[in-house]
Amino acid sequence: MDVVEARVASNVRVAAGVFLLKLEGKYSAAPGQFYMVRAWARDPLLSRPLSVFDRDENGISFLYGVRGRGTELLSRLSPGDAVGLTGPLGNGWPQRAGRIALVGGGLGIAPLYYAAKILRNADVYLGFADAPYLVDEFARVAARVLVSSETGAGGTEGVVTDIFRPDGYDACYACGPLPMLAALDRVCRRAEVPLHVSLEARMACGVGACLGCAVRTVHGYARVCRDGPVFPASEVIWDG
Amino acid sequence: MGDMTVVVGGLRLKNPVIAAAGTFGFGAEYGEIYDPARLGAVCTKGLTLRPRDGNPPPRLHETACGLLNSIGLQNPGIDAFIREELPRMKEQGITVIANVWGDSPAEYEQAVARLCDSPVDAIELNVSCPNVSQGGPVGEDARRTARVVRRARRACTVPLWVKLPPAGGIAVARAAQEEGADAVSTVNTFRGMAIDIETGRPVFANVVAGLSGPAIKPIALRIVYELAGALTIPVVGIGGISDWRDALEFIMAGAHAVQVGTANFVDPLAAVRIVAGLERYMDEKGIGNWEVIRGSAQR
Ligand SMILES: Cc1cc2nc3c(=O)[nH]c(=O)nc-3n(C[C@H](O)[C@H](O)[C@H](O)COP(=O)(O)OP(=O)(O)OC[C@H]3O[C@@H](n4cnc5c(N)ncnc54)[C@H](O)[C@@H]3O)c2cc1C
Ligand SMILES: Cc1cc2nc3c(=O)[nH]c(=O)nc-3n(C[C@H](O)[C@H](O)[C@H](O)COP(=O)(O)O)c2cc1C
Ligand code: FES
Repeated sequence: MDVVEARVASNVRVAAGVFLLKLEGKYSAAPGQFYMVRAWARDPLLSRPLSVFDRDENGISFLYGVRGRGTELLSRLSPGDAVGLTGPLGNGWPQRAGRIALVGGGLGIAPLYYAAKILRNADVYLGFADAPYLVDEFARVAARVLVSSETGAGGTEGVVTDIFRPDGYDACYACGPLPMLAALDRVCRRAEVPLHVSLEARMACGVGACLGCAVRTVHGYARVCRDGPVFPASEVIWDG
Repeated sequence: MGDMTVVVGGLRLKNPVIAAAGTFGFGAEYGEIYDPARLGAVCTKGLTLRPRDGNPPPRLHETACGLLNSIGLQNPGIDAFIREELPRMKEQGITVIANVWGDSPAEYEQAVARLCDSPVDAIELNVSCPNVSQGGPVGEDARRTARVVRRARRACTVPLWVKLPPAGGIAVARAAQEEGADAVSTVNTFRGMAIDIETGRPVFANVVAGLSGPAIKPIALRIVYELAGALTIPVVGIGGISDWRDALEFIMAGAHAVQVGTANFVDPLAAVRIVAGLERYMDEKGIGNWEVIRGSAQR
């Protein structure tokens, strides 16, 4: 875990309210890990957790949606600007062999790209609210990409759980809204396919020290930042 | 070079910068970034006799220059702390201050007795957590505070600090002093709240949560100034300290040492940066020891 100041290489809008931020430097993150990110002094006070979208020899990138003040400030960054990073943090996706399905809903696709790139032969299911984005990028690193869109603006009309069937997979990794993850848990359980989910919680420290990011699991409260963000779905208490 | 050491209520610290309870875990996490033994001391997460699950999420809410938390003293219990965390901390050379909470004077006494049999360097009695009891914390009432400190003092052979809430006032601090506290530390978080305007309901299940961070600094500084002027035992200053300049203000207000809490979240290196900043300040101003400037604002 390092605390570094990185330079912005690029910060490109890839869809309405969605940006891809690339930072220069050498990083050691594994797929599914995240960084605490900031590009401001004390307002807002806290850093924002963002999953690693991609990493290579030249740098690291994050895919983020503009939600509030922090991500709005990130969206204004230009090449050469400074960004504070703490990380890599969290456990990342498990390293399993076999046929893996990656399922992402909305910005839940962010932690799946680097996983697909490392896995090489994964099937990727992407669910968008409206027009899809980054599908070609995923297609370059995945075995197959299937896309859904709630408005039918591209891919199959509906949500990502409509196009995903767990049969034949050795494991499934998913990230997205809680109802989507809970629905996936039901279908994967029925098919006896192990499901791992990347969860979100409000974070202050991001390193495991403040106990602010608690989620309920069958073992009691766990820290999303330290014990996760990836959890076996079988351990998560969904109505938590 | 100036002498950074300071003696606070029977405890000798290599420098006056302490990691505040609940913001630094047991030192293991930030220990991956720097050696916590570089700090004057580390206050542990609030410990209780029995393990506690803590409050249901959400537990955090950001405010303008502040942070509301409702952790609810989630901790593994004193026995597990002594068995699993303390040996590692001592091995690393960390000066350990055990922050302790009890839900009755008897429980405080038992908890303190248990810790006194362990190699902790000092105990900080937390009579000021806003997140675990209905109504105000014990430390907002002089008589209840006196009762708790008396029982704890009886059980305690190591330095005993009492961590006071912002709303306790001088009467409570004097009660702690009279019952034998070696020092007081203040402030704990202010009782605050937030409302979710979509649902119209309080953000936190407990309604009330604790406010910390830069937003509270001027008020915390005023409280430390008042207590330092009124007490004969040392005061440890806490509240919104983000850099060495903030730390100096608290020392000039009369604090013997300071604690750094929320700033650790803003910059994981905040506490060691404050140590370095104070060191530089001493050198540049040619200050030999803290007594030269401590309480300068009182004079
Ligand atoms: C481990 C982890 C990884 C993440 N990775 C990504 C990512 O790769 N891409 C991405 O776009 N987002 C990601 N997020 C979510 C992202 O951190 C939040 O969207 C961001 O913190 C919002 O900050 P803001 O200042 O823009 O909004 P704020 O002003 O803080 O909040 C705006 C809205 O978002 C809600 N919100 C704020 N923080 C969170 C949170 N942590 N979880 C859920 N809701 C929240 C608030 O309730 C509010 O309605 C991740 C979160 C976690 C915990
Ligand atoms: C997440 C969090 C957890 C805390 N837990 C404790 C605790 O267990 N015991 C305690 O005495 N104070 C606790 N505090 C209070 C801090 O130690 C400190 O007194 C307060 O946050 C004010 O200082 P700051 O503004 O530098 O954070 C906690 C504060 C925060 C933000
Ligand atoms: S954000 Fe502090 S423990 Fe997870």
